[in-house]
Amino acid sequence: MPPALAVDALTKDYLSPIKEPGLLGGLRALVNRRYKSSRAVDGVSFRIEEGELVGFLGANGAGKTTTLKMLSGLLTPTSGTALALGRVPWKREPEFQRRLSLVMGQRSQLWWELPAYETFRLNKEIYGLREREFRASLDELVAMLDLGEHLSVPVKKLSLGERMRAGLAAALLHRPRLLLLDEPTIGLDVVMQKKVREFVRGYNRREGAAILLTSHNMADVVELCRRVIVIERGRLLYDGPLETLVARFADHKILRARFSAPVDRARLAELGAVVDADADHATLHVPRARTAASAAALLRDFPVADLDVADVDIDDIVRRLFGAA
Amino acid sequence: MSKYLTAYSIALQETLQRRATLLMDRVGGFAVVLSLYSFWSALLGGKPSFLGYTRAQMLSYVLIINMLRSMVFTGRGWLLVGEISSGRISSYLVRPLSYHGYALSLDLAQKTVHAVSAVLEIGLLAALARGEVFVPRAASSWAAFALSAAMASLIFFFLEFAVSTLAFWTSESGGPLFCFELFLQFAAGAFFPLDVLPAALRRALEATPFPYMVYFPARLLLGQISGREAAARLAAQAGWLAVAAVLSLAVWRRGLSSYAAEGG
Repeated sequence: MPPALAVDALTKDYLSPIKEPGLLGGLRALVNRRYKSSRAVDGVSFRIEEGELVGFLGANGAGKTTTLKMLSGLLTPTSGTALALGRVPWKREPEFQRRLSLVMGQRSQLWWELPAYETFRLNKEIYGLREREFRASLDELVAMLDLGEHLSVPVKKLSLGERMRAGLAAALLHRPRLLLLDEPTIGLDVVMQKKVREFVRGYNRREGAAILLTSHNMADVVELCRRVIVIERGRLLYDGPLETLVARFADHKILRARFSAPVDRARLAELGAVVDADADHATLHVPRARTAASAAALLRDFPVADLDVADVDIDDIVRRLFGAA
Repeated sequence: MSKYLTAYSIALQETLQRRATLLMDRVGGFAVVLSLYSFWSALLGGKPSFLGYTRAQMLSYVLIINMLRSMVFTGRGWLLVGEISSGRISSYLVRPLSYHGYALSLDLAQKTVHAVSAVLEIGLLAALARGEVFVPRAASSWAAFALSAAMASLIFFFLEFAVSTLAFWTSESGGPLFCFELFLQFAAGAFFPLDVLPAALRRALEATPFPYMVYFPARLLLGQISGREAAARLAAQAGWLAVAAVLSLAVWRRGLSSYAAEGG
């Protein structure tokens, strides 16, 4: 089976007008506008197989959305190639569009003044679904996204969470084989986020659709994606299992100790980096290789009442990665 | 085809749903008609005719303007500008759909609602004017008018679409659209019949598509143009319609490729 996405050396330059300062600059720009070119995506290559759910990470402006726009056919790359479901996306062929869905966070395709059901009906026609397919798909989505009574209410009366779930349903009625999700949980409360995540995972498993997902919400990435692709300033920084990424960044473990008597902070520092300490608590980062030795020393030389050895939080790592980018 | 019918039906529902907006639009249009009516009544005074228009014809012209304004000059150019500048247009471009066909379906829905309202208003005004209104007897006048008004609506749709599409290149395409609509109403004869203008200006305007949007269909209904001249002008109007359609598609294609190349 061909991959859902095969991206090779994809590159995109943007032209943006240069605004010179002052009134004179403004007048000059009126007659002779100058442009500067900036590279938003720089030689990115990767493959995603059918049924894979991959996280696409990077700081703001790293080039994630530009990449998604090229893969959905909205933008033509400056150079490089991509095949999505075996087609060149920017040719915008209907056969390709019928199997694709692009969901951009809060940007809803729903008709504001009318119940969401009307938009669903329109999408049924746009994607050429038969009545039976439409019914089956709709019933399933309504049940999974808990949309029942919201379908007959004008969209403008729905809460943000309800609207985003209805938007997701509208985007999935035609059961796309490739789903590009840009910030699917942005602005939602924790309970809603969880619901949307469960739904995305369920859709991926049930339909075997390939999903590429961007998110600034660490929980989305950690709970959904085994594989992540990280880009920084348009370049591919990492492509592989989330665990490996974590291991690469998590070169240390965390020791948390509670003491039965006050201890000397200076002596603790001999065991590892003290990130937090007071009279009866301490948190240390120790290199992985020395974890056992440090823990033993701690138990031997200090009045330890309780000791906890933990891995670094994935959230932390991904956050650091963003921080670094 | 069914996708465009569904879009039409949904847009129809939405227009009816926005009752306040619809009401304001109609009240505004009605105010224009009333002021034109009073203005022309004052100019005519006791005279039997003015600039070749009898009183009944002039009042009919004003009423027809109301009809044509509703059919021709209603569109969603401003929405298109908004959708392009905000990037919302993307959600349509990734779906298997012709945006032109979609936009036309939505426009037609709006035109339907406004045309029906206009008929009701005209009935009311004609009743108030008590027989002072000229009602064409010939079926051919009505048929020619219907054909011409339909083409006028499409010309407006394509031209407005082309101007709105400029939003792909500039974030300020609201400006051109505003100027376009204002000039259009003047040049089409939506404020007064173009006979009122100096001959040279009128001839210049007649070389453009604008008079075909109000002035020409109105004169067809008033029976001022008929026979071979009417046929020739209808053919010219069809020509302008073709030009507008081609122009609109060309601007749209170029806009899309520039959007795709430069990003939104």
